[in-house]
Amino acid sequence: MLQVDQLTTADSKVSLQDISFQFDAGNIYTILGRTGAGKTELLRALMGLNPLVEGDIQLDGQSIAKRPVKDRSMSLVYQQFINYPHLSVLDNVAFPLRRQGKRKAEAQSLAAKMLTTVGLGDFVQRRPAQLSGGQQQRVALARAMVKKSRILMLDEPLANLDYKLREQLREEFPRLVAGNDDSIILYTTTEPREAMELGNTMIVMTDGRIVASGPPAALFAHPPTKDAASVISDPPISFISGFVRSGALYFGEGQLAPNNGLQLPPDGPVTIALRPDAIEPGGAFNATIGLSEFSGSETIVHLDFDFGRAIMLVEGIETFEAGTRLSVSIQAEHLMLFASDGQNITIRTK
Amino acid sequence: MNKFYHILKTLFLFGWSLFVVFPFLWALTTSFKDANAITSGATYIPWVDYEPSTQGWSSLFTTGSQGINIVGPFIDSAAVTLIASLVSLALGTLAAYGLSRFEYRLGFVKNSDITFFFISQRIMPPIVLAIPFFLMLKELGALDTIFGLVLVYIALLLPIAVWVMTDFFAGIPKELDEMAMTDGCSPIGAFFRVVLPNSVPGLVVAGMFCLIFGWNDFFFAFTLTFTETQLLPVSIVSLNSSVTPWWSLSAFALISVAPLACVAVIVERYMSRGTMSGAIR
Amino acid sequence: MLSSKHFFLLPALLTLVAIILFPLLFTIRVSFSSWDVFQSGLDYIGGKNYGRVFEDDRFWQSLGRLSMLSLSSVSLQYTLGFALALAVWKQVRGGRLLRVLFLIPMMTTPVVMSVIWRTVFHESLGPANDILRMFGIGAVPWLSSANGAFISVLIVEVWQWTPFMFLLLLAGLVSLPREPYLAAAIDGAGTWRTFWQVTFPLMAPITIGAVIIRLIEASKIMDTVYVLTSGGPGTATETSSYYIYIRGLRDFQIGYSAALSLVYLVIMIVSLTVIAKVLLRLLVGKVG
Repeated sequence: MLQVDQLTTADSKVSLQDISFQFDAGNIYTILGRTGAGKTELLRALMGLNPLVEGDIQLDGQSIAKRPVKDRSMSLVYQQFINYPHLSVLDNVAFPLRRQGKRKAEAQSLAAKMLTTVGLGDFVQRRPAQLSGGQQQRVALARAMVKKSRILMLDEPLANLDYKLREQLREEFPRLVAGNDDSIILYTTTEPREAMELGNTMIVMTDGRIVASGPPAALFAHPPTKDAASVISDPPISFISGFVRSGALYFGEGQLAPNNGLQLPPDGPVTIALRPDAIEPGGAFNATIGLSEFSGSETIVHLDFDFGRAIMLVEGIETFEAGTRLSVSIQAEHLMLFASDGQNITIRTK
Repeated sequence: MNKFYHILKTLFLFGWSLFVVFPFLWALTTSFKDANAITSGATYIPWVDYEPSTQGWSSLFTTGSQGINIVGPFIDSAAVTLIASLVSLALGTLAAYGLSRFEYRLGFVKNSDITFFFISQRIMPPIVLAIPFFLMLKELGALDTIFGLVLVYIALLLPIAVWVMTDFFAGIPKELDEMAMTDGCSPIGAFFRVVLPNSVPGLVVAGMFCLIFGWNDFFFAFTLTFTETQLLPVSIVSLNSSVTPWWSLSAFALISVAPLACVAVIVERYMSRGTMSGAIR
Repeated sequence: MLSSKHFFLLPALLTLVAIILFPLLFTIRVSFSSWDVFQSGLDYIGGKNYGRVFEDDRFWQSLGRLSMLSLSSVSLQYTLGFALALAVWKQVRGGRLLRVLFLIPMMTTPVVMSVIWRTVFHESLGPANDILRMFGIGAVPWLSSANGAFISVLIVEVWQWTPFMFLLLLAGLVSLPREPYLAAAIDGAGTWRTFWQVTFPLMAPITIGAVIIRLIEASKIMDTVYVLTSGGPGTATETSSYYIYIRGLRDFQIGYSAALSLVYLVIMIVSLTVIAKVLLRLLVGKVG
C-alpha cells in the first residue's frame, strides 16, 4: 500500500499542494487532469526526481521519502519514448535486472519473455532507433514491468502516438499489465475517456491538487465540484449562470430551464452545467450556430444562446451552417447544478 | 545566372584549394633539394628544375652532431599531448556533466558563473602566466620535464573540454539519466553506464580540439623546457634560428604536421553528420 | 558533505584553480614590485609599474596593431570561411575531399607552418616573389617592409584559421531547418536574397560564437609573429603579446611585464565582452 501525506513541492511551473492519498495494491489508478495540473509532478515526486518541500511517502508502512531514486521499487514510463539508444532492445529490457545483480543470461531470458508478452519477440536484437513510436513505447513498458516493482507509473504514455495506435494500445493495455495483484499502477492522461476506460479508480487533479477521486463512472455521473466537472468532460461542459426562484429554474436573465427530476436548491443564484449530450436538435430553445466541427463520428456544435454559450454533441456527421438559427431542446437528465462555491448540488429525485 | 554562379563557385573552390596545398607542396619539393638546387631562385619540379636528394630526410633520423633528431621530439610531443588531452578530457567531461545536471551554489556563484570561469581561461594570453609557471615549476623541480608541461597543458586544455562537452550534454535529455536511476543506477552509475556511452560524438570533437591545441602549442613549451624535454614546435624553431638548410627544415615541418592532418579526416566525418552543431553553440 | 554532484565538478575545478591560481596571484603581486635583471626579489613599489604602462607608447601602439590585425584577419576568415562553407554545403562530387582538405590548415602547428611560410616569402629564393615575377608584377618586400610584413602575417593567419570558421559555419549550415528555404523558393527568392533573408539570419548565433572565439584566440597571437617577422621589421608587426614577451623574457623586467600583462588582460576581457554584446544586439536584434 502506498500512502501519501501532505505532499508539497515547489517548482517554477506547477507545484503540488498538500496532496494526501492512499493507493492500494492490485489497482489501476488513472490520474486525469489538464496540462499543468500537476500529474507529472506527482509521479516525479513519488519517484524522488523532484524534491519535497513537505510531506511524506510511505510504502507498506515504511517512509521512503528520503530514499534515493534507485531504492524506491518504482518504475516510470515517460511520454517521450525514453529508451537507451546504445543498447539493443533485449539489453534495454534486461538493464534493470542486471542492476539488480542478475547474471546476464538470466536477465536476458527474463527480458525476452517480457518482450514476447508485449508483442516484440522478433525485435530483440534491434536498436530502439530502428523501431516505430508504438514499438518504442512497448520496449519502455517491458522494461518498466520486467523488474516487478511495487509501483508502475505511466506518464501519458500514449500521448505522442497517432490516433489509431493510441486506440490499439489502449485496448491492449489491460492485458499487458495483467497479472500483478501485488503492485499499484498509476496512469496519467489528459483524456477523460482514456481515464475512465483504463482505471478502476480515477483521480482528478487541477492546479496541483486532487479535486476528486473514486470509481470513474460515479465520478462522471456526479463530479463533486465544478473544477472536476470541467476536467472530466470531453467535449467540454458548458457552464451557464442562472438562478432558482419560487421552485423553478431559470437560465441567465430569466429563461425557464427544464428541471424534471431535479431537486432544486432554495432560491438564489446557481451555476447550471450542460453536458454536450444535454442538448438535442428540435425543441423550445433558440440559438445561433457558431462553429461546428467533426470529431470522430460525431459533430460538435457551438451554440450561442441568449443566456450564454453551450456545446452540443450530435451523433453522426451533419452540417450545421454557422450564423443560422437552430431550435434545440435541453434534457434535464444531463444537466447539473453547482453552488457558488463550486460544489455539486445536483440531486435527482427519480 | 545559375551557370555564372557555378563557374564562380568552381573557380573559387579551385583557387582556395590551391592556396591551401601550396605551402605543403612547396615544403615537399623543397625537402628533396640540396645546396645546388637553390642557388638561383625558386625551383619547383624535381628532375626538371633540380636534382632531388634525400639529404633533408635522412638528416632527421641521424643523431649526433651532424644530424637533427626528430624522433626524440616527436615522442615527447606525443607523450605530453596525449597525457594532457586524456586528463583534460576526463576531468572536463565530468565537470561539464555536473554543470549540466546539477545546481551548484557557492555564495552568489552559480552554474553559469562556473562555466564562464572555465571558458574564460582561454582569454588569458600565455604571456600572463609564462613567468609564474616558470617559477612554479622550478619550485616543484618540474622544469624541463614532461610532467611539468603536462600540468601546464591541462590548465590550457581543460577549458576546451568543458566548453565542448557542456554544450553537448545540454543536448542529451535528462530523462535518460532519470530512467537509468529508476532502473537502479546511482547518479554516478547513470553517468557512466548510460550517458557516457551515448556521448561518443562529443568526446571525439572535444578530444580532437584538445589534441590540436596541445600538439600545436609553442609558447609554453618554449619557456618551460630546454634540453631534457624537447617538443616538436620548439625544436623546429631552434633549428630555424640556427643555420639549418631548408630541406631539413621542410622535411621536419612535414613530419610535424602529418599526424594532425590525419585528424582532419575524422573531424570531417563528424562534421558532415551534423553532430557537431550541438557541440559548438 | 560530499555528494555525487561534487564528484563531477570538483576534480576539474580544483585542478584548474590549483594550477592557475598561484601564477595569477603571483603575477598580481609581482606587478607591484620592481623585479628585473638587476635586482631580483619582491619589493614593493606601489603602482609605479602601472603608471609606466599608461605612458608606454610602444605598448599602446602594439594594441593598435593587434586590433587592426585581429579585426582584419577575423573578418577575412569569416567571409572566406562562410563562402567556402556555402560552396561546399551541397556539393556531392568531391565534397568530402574538399572538406577534409579545407580543414587541414587549422590542424597544423602555427610555428611549423610559419617556418615554411618564411621560406615562401623569402624575397630572392622564395616562390611568392618568383610567381609574382612570372606574372609581370614585381617582387614584393614581404618581410623587409612594414606593410609587407603586416600583410604576410595576415596571409598566414587567414590561411591557418579560415578553416576554423569554415568548420563551425558548415556545421551550422548542415543543421539548418529546411522549411524557410522551401518558403523562400515558393516566394521566388533568388540566390542572393535567399542568403540575406534566410541563411544569414538563421546563422546569426553561430556567427557570433565563431567570431568571438576567433577574436579571443587571435588576440593572443604570438607564435606566427615570433617566427615569421620577430615583430619586425622594427616594430611593424609587434603585437601586444610579443611586446610583453620582449619586456618579460628578453629584458627580464619581470615586475613591469607583469603589470603590462594584467593591464592587457583587463583590456582584453573588457573589449571582448563589449564586442560580444554589440554583436549580439546587432545580429540577434536583426533577427528578432
